[in-house]
Amino acid sequence: MRKVLYAVIGLAVAVALWEGYKVVGSPDGTVLFGVRVLPRADDLSMPHVWTVLDRLGRPELTGGRPVWIVVVQACLFTLGITAAGFVIGALVGLLLAVAMERFRIVERGLLPYVILSQTVPLVALAPLVAGWGGTIMPAWATVSVIAAYLAFFPVAVGMLRGLQSPSASGVELMRSYAAGWWRTLVKLRFPASLPYLFPALRLAGAAAVVGAVVGEISTGTRGGIGRLIIEYSREATSDPAKVYTAMLGAALLGLVVAGLVSLLELPLMRHRRHVEVVTL
Amino acid sequence: MSAVVVSSVTKTFNQGRTDEVVALSDVDLTVGDGEFVSLIGPSGCGKSTLLRLIADLIPPSTGTVTVAGKGAGTARKEQAYGIAFQQAGLFEWRTVLRNVELPLELRGMTKAARRTRAEQMLALVGLEDFGGHYPAQLSGGMQQRVAIARALAVQPPLLLMDEPFGALDEMTRERLQSELLGICAKTGTSTVFVTHSISEAVFLSDRVVVMSARPGRITASITVGLPSRDDAGRQSPAYFDKITEVRQALRGAPLKTAS
Amino acid sequence: MKWARSVLPPVAVGIAAIVAWELIVSLGRIAPFILPAPSAIWRELVAQRQNVWEAALASGANALIGLAGGAVLGVLAAMAASRFRPLTEVSLPFAAVLNALPIIALAPILNNMFESTSSIPRRLVTAIIVFFPVFVNTLRGLREVDPLHQELMHTYAASGWTFARKVRLPGALPYVFTGLRQASSLAVIAAVVAEYFGGLQTGLGSRITSAAAFTAYPRAWAFVVGACLLGLAFYLTTLLLERLAMPWRTRLIA
Repeated sequence: MRKVLYAVIGLAVAVALWEGYKVVGSPDGTVLFGVRVLPRADDLSMPHVWTVLDRLGRPELTGGRPVWIVVVQACLFTLGITAAGFVIGALVGLLLAVAMERFRIVERGLLPYVILSQTVPLVALAPLVAGWGGTIMPAWATVSVIAAYLAFFPVAVGMLRGLQSPSASGVELMRSYAAGWWRTLVKLRFPASLPYLFPALRLAGAAAVVGAVVGEISTGTRGGIGRLIIEYSREATSDPAKVYTAMLGAALLGLVVAGLVSLLELPLMRHRRHVEVVTL
Repeated sequence: MSAVVVSSVTKTFNQGRTDEVVALSDVDLTVGDGEFVSLIGPSGCGKSTLLRLIADLIPPSTGTVTVAGKGAGTARKEQAYGIAFQQAGLFEWRTVLRNVELPLELRGMTKAARRTRAEQMLALVGLEDFGGHYPAQLSGGMQQRVAIARALAVQPPLLLMDEPFGALDEMTRERLQSELLGICAKTGTSTVFVTHSISEAVFLSDRVVVMSARPGRITASITVGLPSRDDAGRQSPAYFDKITEVRQALRGAPLKTAS
Repeated sequence: MKWARSVLPPVAVGIAAIVAWELIVSLGRIAPFILPAPSAIWRELVAQRQNVWEAALASGANALIGLAGGAVLGVLAAMAASRFRPLTEVSLPFAAVLNALPIIALAPILNNMFESTSSIPRRLVTAIIVFFPVFVNTLRGLREVDPLHQELMHTYAASGWTFARKVRLPGALPYVFTGLRQASSLAVIAAVVAEYFGGLQTGLGSRITSAAAFTAYPRAWAFVVGACLLGLAFYLTTLLLERLAMPWRTRLIA
């Protein structure tokens, strides 16, 4: 209840800041030493909030479908891509974590690269992965690959920490029960890792959304919200409110994915504490 | 003048609520100048609460606490006591030397003066070679010695210790006990020492104050007066007699509550 | 010995991976638009080193300015939020929600709001993205003070300001650096990716897209390698700063 209230207050503050700046800000922005440090406040660059909301209800092109339907459909399309990427990424992350937990040598050999993979902007590969579309996989799948690439990392690292979290005495206890590696994994390490896994999954969900949006843009995949943002932003000079409707869609997508991932943990995480997952 | 006077002090936590707890009920305690007093009792008897009252970390519900003739609050602001806890509580981002310097720094002492003083204190606890180390590089016993050096740095007339050796192994504990006695004898500091250990209380103290729980109060005050405080002292019949006496006082405590 | 044990496996894996990559591509006759061979990428990298260097400088400047701006704002905001408990409670869930949004998609809007011919929009996007990890981690660090330290400072009759300066801030430093570590790689990623959304064509991101558009895939990969090196440089610099800022974090003897 309080969270809803906070959300409403936050939104109201954001809207007030936006409209407030439009009132006080210079229409041509503020230029200091030849650099525009404050944005243009004219209706072309910063349309009124109500203009954007109104734009949602009007047709995309004359005689076309209303914008909000287009945006929601694009969101659904991207949601599918995100989901595929999230599942692939989470599975790869889980397998990597289990392999690294099982074999110290794999951890030593791979973990630096797993971490490295996030410190370097390998998303930069996105335009290159585009070349895979239509040849070795369908075009949308290339976007899922990019989303999966961003999503696997938090899961791999969080899960590894979770699997390694049981105390030595817990592991020794399992040994005294003559439980092998697999049973120790199932009975001890998996349950112990859940508090680490779920925060990691939430990070992975957010990362998969970013991956899907960026992936669509850089591979030129049509139909999704990322692509819509680019298309609408090209119309910004004639129809400035349009790109903001696509932005709202992207934000909505982020929230929906975050919500869906949180739903995953509901049945499993009652009465259990959460652990903060530090990814790097 | 007495180092500490606690008179008719009561401490109630969560007063007026359903989870109200009387931690201390009508406690009187006087610690003489240069005296070493141990507080001993079962968990929940309020011995740590009593120490915190003397340190003005919490206020009493009723009654007064006087430290060196002043109110406990004034005494705290004048840094009239040094304090050490069960955990060393060192600041990990400061070197050992700068940890000991901290209370002096907050007193506004000049850099050179506090450096000299901190080095003296480290020498006192036998860590003069470790001033440049960081706490994480020291063992638990060494960290605790730094904490004691820090408590002594302002050369306070009173030392408050809350189970300072509780987390250490028996060997380290005995060595630090002897060191602490040596330091107190050298500096003439009065000490209030909270402990769980009967042998520790008897070995260190001029007087052992026995407390009981629910409500926390003082049930006995046993003057020790061992002939010597060294390894021979630890084997003397007088030492074992006093241990028995304290143990009986601790056992007897619940019976007295019942009567 | 210990050093060799921690360095040898990753180096072995790296070499094995590159060799396998080269063999698969050349023996499997894989088309360069699927995956160019490492040797081809290396040749392009050598040939294009001047261009890669210049593009890396442009992207690096954007990332650095965004990182510095976002990090400073993040730390200041966290300090402000930690002063008032209600503000903390409101801002943490908010930061979590905002962090779930694809902030990078702000890039085209900022291009409109400022001008697409300056670097301001992408620096701004970078700063916004960097802000969140720094803010959240710093706030967490500022809130978590050892109760023992609190009591100790109380016995020293230390004022609020002294407490903040001597205990709260140094205590939060490890958390700040956790945030900065995440932020440093995010900054490079954001600065490069923001270029995909149009705007000035000087950095690595636009070089990658234009090379890919000309189907010069090895060249595009060479710029990707440049981007990787840039990201690595940022990350390692942050690690180095962390070491310098927190000398107490090294365990010399047990």
